[in-house]
Amino acid sequence: MWKSSGKLQNPLSDGNRYVMKDVSSAGRNARRWCVLVFFSAAAVMSGCASARLQQARSEFYSGNLGEASAALSSPDKVSSREQLLFYMEKGLILHYAGQYPESILLLRKASDLIQAQEVISASQQVASMVTTEWITEYKGEYAERLFVHTYLMMDYLLVNDPESALVEAKQALAVYKDYPEACSGDLFTRALIAHCFEAEGEINDAYIEYKKLAELLPSPALVADRLCDLGSRLGFSDDVKRYQKYLPPSAGKSPKTDEAAELIVFAAQGRAPVKVPQNIVLPPSIRFSFATYENVTDGFYPVAAHGSNGTETGSPITTDVGRVLRTSLKDRLTQIIAKETARAVAKEAIARQVDDPLAELLVRIALLIMEEPDTRCWETLPAYLTLVRVPLYKGRNRIDLGQEGGMPVLEITVTPEHPRYYYQSVRDGGDYHPVSASP
Amino acid sequence: MFENAWTKSMALGWIIMALSMMAGCSATTRDLSPDDVVHYDENYDFSDKKLIVSRLVDSLMRKSPLAARDDRPVLVIYNVANHTDEHIETGGITDDIRQEILQSGKARFVNEVQRDTIQRESDYQYGGNVSPETRIQRARQVGAEYKISGTLRSITKEQPRQVRLKRKTLQYYSLVLELTDLQTGLIEWTDNVEIVREASKPFIGW
Repeated sequence: MWKSSGKLQNPLSDGNRYVMKDVSSAGRNARRWCVLVFFSAAAVMSGCASARLQQARSEFYSGNLGEASAALSSPDKVSSREQLLFYMEKGLILHYAGQYPESILLLRKASDLIQAQEVISASQQVASMVTTEWITEYKGEYAERLFVHTYLMMDYLLVNDPESALVEAKQALAVYKDYPEACSGDLFTRALIAHCFEAEGEINDAYIEYKKLAELLPSPALVADRLCDLGSRLGFSDDVKRYQKYLPPSAGKSPKTDEAAELIVFAAQGRAPVKVPQNIVLPPSIRFSFATYENVTDGFYPVAAHGSNGTETGSPITTDVGRVLRTSLKDRLTQIIAKETARAVAKEAIARQVDDPLAELLVRIALLIMEEPDTRCWETLPAYLTLVRVPLYKGRNRIDLGQEGGMPVLEITVTPEHPRYYYQSVRDGGDYHPVSASP
Repeated sequence: MFENAWTKSMALGWIIMALSMMAGCSATTRDLSPDDVVHYDENYDFSDKKLIVSRLVDSLMRKSPLAARDDRPVLVIYNVANHTDEHIETGGITDDIRQEILQSGKARFVNEVQRDTIQRESDYQYGGNVSPETRIQRARQVGAEYKISGTLRSITKEQPRQVRLKRKTLQYYSLVLELTDLQTGLIEWTDNVEIVREASKPFIGW
């Protein structure tokens, strides 16, 4: 069937070749069927996300967090190529189920797997060159790798372990360093990193991170209070003067942050965009396929915290997760185009090697079907992540995070022996969980 | 003939691949001595912990004030703060330091970690179930004279991204330990251990 073997059989004349073909027709038929079975199997396999993952996502968005978690009861339930998705999806489901220690275990495994996947598997890459991207291990978009650390930071803060949250903050900074373009739009994670340094008393590092954040924001106003507070403690009087003009007029009237407790809200809204397939087909059977992100959530209700007297309080910093994911995918564009082109060339070469017209047609069909874009992605991520810092007063505090946007109203009682920070993770439309307070 | 050669080559290829996969998949175990220095990568491991503990305990016991004391002063050890970018269980470091100092006989320790359970047991003994002559006497615990505390830090430097087959990483660890006189607040002793390690990882694997 293969022309290469035909060439070997035909060193002198076509006549010999036909004779050899007749003699070896049984062997050729066997190989033909082997090739067709292989490509058919690969074609069937391509484009199939694990049913358990889909079930878990569906249950999650129906509000059945227990069922969502149960659908992913063990890593064996999903393909070995989708282990990272298993850990990321289940880690996030457990986070919003309020099971933070369990979420930490899963997301730590995701983080370890990401590190292990830094070594490129030659066998997977070679196999994917003639089949499909789906047979390679899913390694996560650069931004998804960052969000693993983001959720770990939140989890650790919610279980009152700021030291471990700071470890994750440093790992998140390493991701920013490795993929600066892809992750630059994630302001939420930047704000969280700065807070982790601050919560651990590393005020110099916290100041540096807040300063970086101020440069990324349209205006430094959202972090001006942190820069002024930390700047004055570090003796950076020039910087304090520079940022004081961004403070709101009411800044002087409220209690100083270091004298009051503070609520840090991690608000998640909507559903992150999902990858959808796009195709360009060229004759005779060349198919370029690639994935793009498609929005699932249309609207965005800005999270704004309102205190008991109805006045707006806090300073929300929001990440448009979809925008970050798109930038991240775009960052890999050159790599994707190069691989797609190489695969198209390899597949065309394979098809041309087949000298039996019927077999060639079948191989071309199989190769065309297999050229399925890799649409795997972390689908339980929210569309928007907002970090809100709300000053708390001694006694009872009522904070409305925006009920029209599906956000809850929080009731927090600050006792005389209050902790410095209270943490709360909420997601629109779902349950919200008891406030965690750091000692 | 060529057909036959092709089939034979393919069969041989499959056999070699299957054998190499079987060899790679076979499970093996071997016992190592805890004193062996073993590093799989640049990250902190048990060999580093042993090195850190032995050097710092040696320094603490050979220098003032502990070296000058023969009355076994009472110490308390607090957790070593982890300021690295790895999740490191620093409780293992403090446990080993406490154990080595206790075994040397140079000092004693109050059990800070078990304070809550000591209090619970004390409350139980005074709860009415324990006879007065066998129960412990309250307010007889010994106060610590010195506090041991420390900080573990790390700096990681990776080779910049460029076309190559291996990536080198330079890892630096530093553990600073302090002995503070709890009455005066003075740091009476401090020392540190530094570890610098270079490791390289391949970019491509099978």
